[in-house]
Amino acid sequence: MKISRRDFLKTTAVTSLYFAGFGGPSYASSGPKKNLVIIMLKGGMDGLCAIPVKGDKNFEKLRSKINLDRTLKLTTDFDLHPALKTFKSLWDENLSAAVHATNIPYTGRSHFDGQNLMESGGKIPYQEKTGWLGRGMKTAGLTGQGLALALPMPLLIRGVPMNNNYFPVGRSLPYPAILELIQKAYKEHDEKLLSDNLEIILTRDFNNRSRDDAWILASSAGTELSKPDGPKVAVFEVDGFDTHAAQGATDGAHADCLSDYDNIIRSLKSSMTKEAFDNTLVITLTEFGRTIKQNSSNGTEHGYGSAVLMAGGLVKKAQVHTDWPGLKKKELFEGRDLNSTIDARSIYASAMSKVFDVDFNRITKEVFWGEKLQNLSDKLFKS
Amino acid sequence: MKNFFRKVAFGVGLHEEVPPEPLKWALDQLNHIPEFAWKGKIYSEKDLRKHYRDWVYGDRKVLRKKYKDNKVLYKTHKNILRHKTGQKFWESLEISIRHYEGIKSDYPVLAKLWMFWGNFFAISEKDFLANYSTGPYQREIIRPNLNQSFEKMVYDVTTSWAMIHHLDNSESAGPKSVTSRDEWRRRKKRPATINENHARELLELHTVSPKAGYSQEDVIQLAYIMTGWQHKWSKNNLETGNVWFNSEYHQPGNKKVLGKEYRRGKKTLAIVIRDLVNHPNSRDFVAERLCRYLISDEPTKEMKQPIVDAFKKSDGFIPEIHKAAIKVAFEYNDKYKKFQTPENWLIQVAKIADLNWPPSPDLMDKYELGQIPFNSQREPEWILQNIGHHPYRAKQPNGWSDHSDDWISPELLIRRLVYAKASYNFSKMEINKNTDYFENIVEKNFDNPSKIMKYINQKNRAVEKHTLLFNHPEFLKA
Repeated sequence: MKISRRDFLKTTAVTSLYFAGFGGPSYASSGPKKNLVIIMLKGGMDGLCAIPVKGDKNFEKLRSKINLDRTLKLTTDFDLHPALKTFKSLWDENLSAAVHATNIPYTGRSHFDGQNLMESGGKIPYQEKTGWLGRGMKTAGLTGQGLALALPMPLLIRGVPMNNNYFPVGRSLPYPAILELIQKAYKEHDEKLLSDNLEIILTRDFNNRSRDDAWILASSAGTELSKPDGPKVAVFEVDGFDTHAAQGATDGAHADCLSDYDNIIRSLKSSMTKEAFDNTLVITLTEFGRTIKQNSSNGTEHGYGSAVLMAGGLVKKAQVHTDWPGLKKKELFEGRDLNSTIDARSIYASAMSKVFDVDFNRITKEVFWGEKLQNLSDKLFKS
Repeated sequence: MKNFFRKVAFGVGLHEEVPPEPLKWALDQLNHIPEFAWKGKIYSEKDLRKHYRDWVYGDRKVLRKKYKDNKVLYKTHKNILRHKTGQKFWESLEISIRHYEGIKSDYPVLAKLWMFWGNFFAISEKDFLANYSTGPYQREIIRPNLNQSFEKMVYDVTTSWAMIHHLDNSESAGPKSVTSRDEWRRRKKRPATINENHARELLELHTVSPKAGYSQEDVIQLAYIMTGWQHKWSKNNLETGNVWFNSEYHQPGNKKVLGKEYRRGKKTLAIVIRDLVNHPNSRDFVAERLCRYLISDEPTKEMKQPIVDAFKKSDGFIPEIHKAAIKVAFEYNDKYKKFQTPENWLIQVAKIADLNWPPSPDLMDKYELGQIPFNSQREPEWILQNIGHHPYRAKQPNGWSDHSDDWISPELLIRRLVYAKASYNFSKMEINKNTDYFENIVEKNFDNPSKIMKYINQKNRAVEKHTLLFNHPEFLKA
């Protein structure tokens, strides 16, 4: 749908009302609460290790030391890494899918610039101080409905106030009376960010004495996301995908990272109510894929195109959605990397539009500066 | 103005006088590298690397083979080996030496800058580097270079055992090198290829930064130049051998980085580093990072310029770069207050409150190899991990962030609240029972002592006053 100037003006007017705080909490849709979970895979996830292409002799030759000797079956064209067991069982129930040969439009191969851009959604590293998810939540009026399962607040979710995070310290907090005095001092010094954060600490009902194991974080998130008044957005981080050496194949460093991802979706699935999981979308995000060719240390270098993994009840069907660019030398990006034929931001914009019930064009306008992105909602997500 | 002592150092200690000439006091600390204030045992990087070798070698080869049918015995013996090699002790010792330098030495400004460079040339969490090597690397490679040139610093870092291991350069082999024709490569199907990791970070993190606009081809060409710089591998030492230049791995022929031609050979690395550190972007990048560490998340051009100028004029002499940065920090002291990172904050709490922190040299010297360290000997590692800022365990090679927003979240704030309270357990009871204890430390470190006293006197117990003081918004910034 092409938005007319008239519509556009109308939308902007509504938005400013929300910004000014006069709006309701969100675009109240009558249906059940929907959740969006983003799992950041940091270090450069090798899409061709997670979802290898079948029957490409050249590919197998280039990866003679890191080819998978055992895979799970996905489609006639693609296999699945055996570490992704939960993903596969969800696939069999039409609850998981992937987009392949996709990435954010960044080709610089620096982790840190790439990670900054995958979170900000922008094109110039370190220029944006907010994340695309935070801006999307702001557009949808989702204040105070974000939860990061990490110690810092990821850039990805910044841009909307009052986000919470959970990474239990394992000790008791000082008494509330003390915290209130500190908060008063923050307010007197106009330290709004500090004061907001302390407000969250004072009002939330989380177990601070718990541990920070990944499965505890994921199942706590699952429980929170299942609550009708709980958060609607959660963010996870998995590190360690940067396997320059000893990447491994069926087992090994990359497999362990994929398994960390798989454990998160397993814990989410088992801790969420059926209704909540049915109304949830879990999507991955990475800074870039990895080279087609292994290096002499049996690892791979920084590349470009990768894959995005999706799970949850809002996934349309089990599929590998792709506009496959091919792996012949001339089809590769700069002769070395899987190309990206789908701007991954189209997936994220579509997902936010779907889960937050906000018009797609409004998302591209307010979150991605009006860049031309493709609406993939009908192709990827349940209507 | 008293925040200056925390901005460029760690505050004024209970038994110290407030320096009457703050700028001079700071600048005077930057010319030479003193002995460590720590008088306990200090182990060399090489000695600790031997423990690394014993741990890796014993673990991987001997134990796995010996107990391949008995997982329980394997685990038990792995644990014994862990303690025999000091795996759980060294990093706490290193953190103690580091904090002691900030708290007890006469050179806290230099200590704060030492920590800056340790993070600038960060070794992130990988294998067992944090356990055995990162602390010693910061002591033996970073610190002695604080009164040398930036060029020498970069060269020493690039050829250090820890950085070569961290960024996989041993794995990098020229595709046309001598080793590329080795028979075993054909047999084992391991063709010689480069590993770009170290070359990329040398450009991106250690010198010119991406703003220089280098290309993928520049990265590849620099990686070619760096081929051959590796650990001397032997069956006994595995990857813990010294760094050397193995010409058999070196890519022959000329290379071109950022438009300049380089010849083959060992000496080229020094030449390319000289060119990189003299690139205008390196100066700007160093100035930017120093300003962000000391002054503001958003350094202005005016802030950076004197540092850039000093860099240029002195040919990258680090004491001159430091002096320029400290002068700028002094000039902007009242206008910009920088949110302090957790480790900086903890050291300031310890210094200002005169805590029994870090563990004393006596306590740390009681450690015996093979024994399980006491809990009190392991506290540095635990606490730094828990406040979310362990200096040897950054997640990625770009080190810990120096952007304030990255250090503010409910959970990170909880760490300050909890550890402000917990750190009271390290206080010297005989001192803080004194009624003038709080008045004394507040007077020395705040410009508005009566207001701060009024705030902490809202509570009666010392532990409560302590928690309030070290979470006061003025204390969180400097």
